[in-house]
Amino acid sequence: MKFEKKRASTKQDIPTASLPDIIFMLLLFFMVTTTLREVEVLVDFALPEAEALEKIENKRLISYVWVGKGNKIQINDSIVMLDDIQPIMYGKRQALPNVIVSLRVDKAINMGLVTDIQQELRKAYCLRVNYSSNIKI
Amino acid sequence: MLKKRKLSEASIPTSSMADIAFLLLIFFLVATVIDVDTGIGMTLPELSDLEPPPVSKDRMAALLINETGDVLLNGEAISLFQIKNTLKPRIQSKIDLPSNKKLIVSLKTDRKTVYNAYIQALDQVKMAFFEVRDEYSNSRFGNNYDDLEEEEQQEVKDAVPIIISIAEPEQVTK
Repeated sequence: MKFEKKRASTKQDIPTASLPDIIFMLLLFFMVTTTLREVEVLVDFALPEAEALEKIENKRLISYVWVGKGNKIQINDSIVMLDDIQPIMYGKRQALPNVIVSLRVDKAINMGLVTDIQQELRKAYCLRVNYSSNIKI
Repeated sequence: MLKKRKLSEASIPTSSMADIAFLLLIFFLVATVIDVDTGIGMTLPELSDLEPPPVSKDRMAALLINETGDVLLNGEAISLFQIKNTLKPRIQSKIDLPSNKKLIVSLKTDRKTVYNAYIQALDQVKMAFFEVRDEYSNSRFGNNYDDLEEEEQQEVKDAVPIIISIAEPEQVTK
């Protein structure tokens, strides 16, 4: 007697022809969402932590001001003096009227400096600010 | 006689296509920074020479933070973490009042106050406002503020506006 397994005559492999397409889909998603870091941060800072946080919906509107240890202020790619803030920010505001200034300030900085920066921002009419902080867990 | 030559099927090998795509995918996965910018939003007051109009004492909640991180609320010393619970009933009591009688929180710091203390205080104030908003929208619409429709949100906003004033810094000679 001959034993024979009953086997369906259909092919049994998974069709992989569409695999590249799926991968390409994923790839395109990541390509679109990627924002490569444009600026190098030159100051050393640790953000404060808070709970009542808001997300900034529109990333294009953000303009960063870093304030790090040693009271160093960075805008764009360079360390600037306090007096330089007003002209730089005024220029930015002219390019983008509803600019949001994200203040990335080290948590050990004195309020005096922060207030001075805010005064400069007010002079430049950049009134929307955002105190960047991390989520408290 | 014409002999039909059998053509070998010409095809590009596509089996490695997935691998190439995978490599690219991994590159973009690694290079992607999905950091959502989070922070506490504020609007600075416009610069003007005009004296701010006088506000009745009853509307004001004056917060003062000194250089050691001590908090004074309307002249009374409280701890940083009490700010939220102290402010909440005051905000709630003004929900039904017209918009020119809502609570104003004024935040004032010393020049030597540490930034972290300021953020913590601001965080507490914001949380007080957010919680009152949530409670109000829950009692009115049965939903949290974030889940409301736009018009409903506007209504809650009108009932509980967030008014925080950053007081002009005192000119202290260093």
